[in-house]
Amino acid sequence: MNGQRLVSWRNPWFVASVGGTFAVLVFSAFVGFVWLPSAQDDELFKGLLNAICSAAGVPRSWLANASPPVPPSSPVSNVALTPTMLSKPSDASTGRGATLALRCTMCHGARGVSAANTPNLAGQYAPSVYKELRDFQNGARVSAIMAPMVVGLSDQDMRDLAAYYAFLPRLSVKTSHGNAEAPDVVATGAPMRNIAPCASCHGGLTDKVGAPWLNGQPLTYLTSQLNAFATGKRRNDISEQMRNVARQMTPNEIDEAAKYYAAQ
Amino acid sequence: MSSSSAYDPHESAKVAARIEQRWALVVVGIVAVLVAMVIFTGLHWAMMPPSRVETIDPTTLHVSGEFVESNLGSTVEQDGSVTVRLVAQQYSFTPQCIVVPAKTPIIFRATSADVVHGMLITDTNINSMLEPGYISTFKTRFDKPGNHLMPCHEFCGLGHEAMWANVKVVDQDTFFKMAAKTRRLSCVNP
Repeated sequence: MNGQRLVSWRNPWFVASVGGTFAVLVFSAFVGFVWLPSAQDDELFKGLLNAICSAAGVPRSWLANASPPVPPSSPVSNVALTPTMLSKPSDASTGRGATLALRCTMCHGARGVSAANTPNLAGQYAPSVYKELRDFQNGARVSAIMAPMVVGLSDQDMRDLAAYYAFLPRLSVKTSHGNAEAPDVVATGAPMRNIAPCASCHGGLTDKVGAPWLNGQPLTYLTSQLNAFATGKRRNDISEQMRNVARQMTPNEIDEAAKYYAAQ
Repeated sequence: MSSSSAYDPHESAKVAARIEQRWALVVVGIVAVLVAMVIFTGLHWAMMPPSRVETIDPTTLHVSGEFVESNLGSTVEQDGSVTVRLVAQQYSFTPQCIVVPAKTPIIFRATSADVVHGMLITDTNINSMLEPGYISTFKTRFDKPGNHLMPCHEFCGLGHEAMWANVKVVDQDTFFKMAAKTRRLSCVNP
């Protein structure tokens, strides 16, 4: 090299390469922000500014003239579940829950465990208890027994109850079959029939917020709820999450899963 | 750099300059081909770019708005097109079985209630990510009746392999007869 400056407008290589790169940039921007968006037939891509904003990802409403949503024919769950909800209840909340829970003892037992074929609530995840209470209250989950019990409960009351039951120690039934290997539907599901493993939401593999802890629940309760989901009689699962699974299960799989969880 | 060749007495410098010039042309050519490919696929093939960004609160999909349970499935719009709304969640699509007419403009509206999912309709070029907080909108058209599998193609958790739906494409007559009976269609057996 003869000492001529590299970055200089008198260097034809510099001019050509920088100029060329800049021209490609301008042309590509035109392609991406103007040409390709304009080729779409959406109203929101028409016009220069619209095309640029839409291509750049400005959030807008892309289906403005749609027919209005069809309202549900029966109440649906209106609980917004979030992963951190009810995760750190105060002692006062748990204490209030304990007092409120006195009205529940007749069926759910003094410490959240009972032999009455009602769900054992001791150690149940707080979001699950809270969600079911809310669903009983607005009619999304139908029960002639629970409906009158939840009538007067405020939102805070239900949070307190959830905190209290989550705080109680879990029941360990571990019967002689309790150590049995999990049936296929629990451990691996049936991917060919759209069934994810029970354990991928209900604990064992992973948990999903809102999905209850099933171990040690009464056999009749588990069976009846699975059947109710399968037939669509129970419909408070959010966006058919549980119905989609139960609908595909065979009566034998329902039986196996219920027996397995009841024996844990 | 090689502009120095004019002053360089050595033959090798001229060779180097020629080679550099050719390489520059090849690279420019590659860039031009890539841009041309983007233009061609954007105009003739691709469904997704440019994006249609729209946001939504993923925790309240089921409470209000267009993704409430009773509003999911296929809808006939006034202009004769069909809108299909669906929700992806761990570990299923709702509705589990989607029914659409052949030879009709179709708009898919889909979103996720929890984590990142994906939808891919086999034997078509429909392939989209479904992200919590965003609505994926895209337009398509099925040429002939048939059944398509629609798996989730974005690993979404331990039940991912069980997450799929069916897409049933039926002829227009059958579809519009079904649509006359109900406002939101799906082929899920209750």
